[in-house]
Amino acid sequence: MTSHNMASHRHQFASWEQSQEYYVETNLTDGLPIVPPSEDRVCAMLEFAGLPPDQVIGVEVIRQKHITAEKVAINAVMAGCRPEYFPVVVSAVAACCERSFNLHASSTSTNGVTVLVLVSGVYAQKIGMNSSTGVMGPSNRANATIGRAVNLVKTNFYGSVPQEMDNSTFGHPGKYSFCFAENLDAGNWPSLTVDKGFDGSSSTVTVVAAYSPLQVSVYGGKDPGSFLAGTAHAMIGLGPSTSEVLVVLSPEVMQYVNDAGWSRRQVQEFLWGKAQLPAREWIAWRRVEHPEDFTDPDRLVGCVADPDRITVVAAGGAAGVYIDVIGSWGNSRPVTRKIEIRS
Amino acid sequence: MTKLENMLVTLDPRDENDHGPALLAPRAPTLNGKTLGLLSNNKPHSEELLRMIAAIMKELYDIKDTVEYNKGSHQWPANSEDLKEFAAKCDVAIHATAE
Repeated sequence: MTSHNMASHRHQFASWEQSQEYYVETNLTDGLPIVPPSEDRVCAMLEFAGLPPDQVIGVEVIRQKHITAEKVAINAVMAGCRPEYFPVVVSAVAACCERSFNLHASSTSTNGVTVLVLVSGVYAQKIGMNSSTGVMGPSNRANATIGRAVNLVKTNFYGSVPQEMDNSTFGHPGKYSFCFAENLDAGNWPSLTVDKGFDGSSSTVTVVAAYSPLQVSVYGGKDPGSFLAGTAHAMIGLGPSTSEVLVVLSPEVMQYVNDAGWSRRQVQEFLWGKAQLPAREWIAWRRVEHPEDFTDPDRLVGCVADPDRITVVAAGGAAGVYIDVIGSWGNSRPVTRKIEIRS
Repeated sequence: MTKLENMLVTLDPRDENDHGPALLAPRAPTLNGKTLGLLSNNKPHSEELLRMIAAIMKELYDIKDTVEYNKGSHQWPANSEDLKEFAAKCDVAIHATAE
């Protein structure tokens, strides 16, 4: 293993237990035990990705924090990542630093928001990510630790620590970890990677400043024009000023959509058209921050501004006819980045 | 005593760059005769809150005038050009969040 010149401060402990207590007491964990970030382990991360420790992965635009590969690697080790997961973590952190994601406001808001990491492409399969049964739940190491690593970078490096800079009223279960992979075997649509304009042989990571997922049971047959109405109804629950919505179709729903010959674009346009209400109804339901801005009470106002603000992917297990609806916070826009894998 | 070679050595995950202290703006020696700036973040009722505070301050001090600026969104910092223009119009400023 190549020796790297790490700039980070060293801590010395007489035992594993002592190291755990230190990291918990100094608020450097999410409350769960961590893998001690030894220099060898951190080196293995950097080696795998071919990154020098001082390489800047991203610069957060508001606080001008320069996030280096070394610090990302330390947090990835702490989260329990294997070295082959590290390129995904790096791309996710870089994506979070793009201005349109608005990491600062979304990670300090009183709203309950977390960074959702959605991985698309063959690399997810290569590193054993779960895209199937229980996709958003526990048990898969890659899903669990990649999402955890991104959250630890946010708290430990960026400083968005709960009860301190993170003032979220309720928090969010996904602040521990919220990461899953697109199910490439479900349906016949192009992958999200291709849909976002990347080469089909690439893999990508999409970060979303995500609210809690809302699971919708699908009733009323197999016609998308019928059952997607319920999904649009759930979107209305997000309110009229939602920046973007991620819609996750279970493989069985995806089959219905494919059998009906619907494209991803058709689903986006259908949901956008259905998830609208006259301004006066949004106002009556107290879902509008500035009602005075709506001068025409009969004007139809959408949950999102246009169909492009709805991302649709397949994920989840074969059994079950469900759709998950996940809104994005405030003015944050999801960001998709290619995962750079050293050949 | 654990021997040094048996110690577990770990790396710190925090930002260790020295960003310098976060300093408060210099305090005005007196508010009498000063123009008071009210900087709203566009949260509901933030302007009302600022005006209430300004009314109280006018009772307590000889405030010369007030100027208002709404930065348009609580989700982004104020536009730097607009902020400079606002700062040029007032001697002291207060900022508010509200709901």
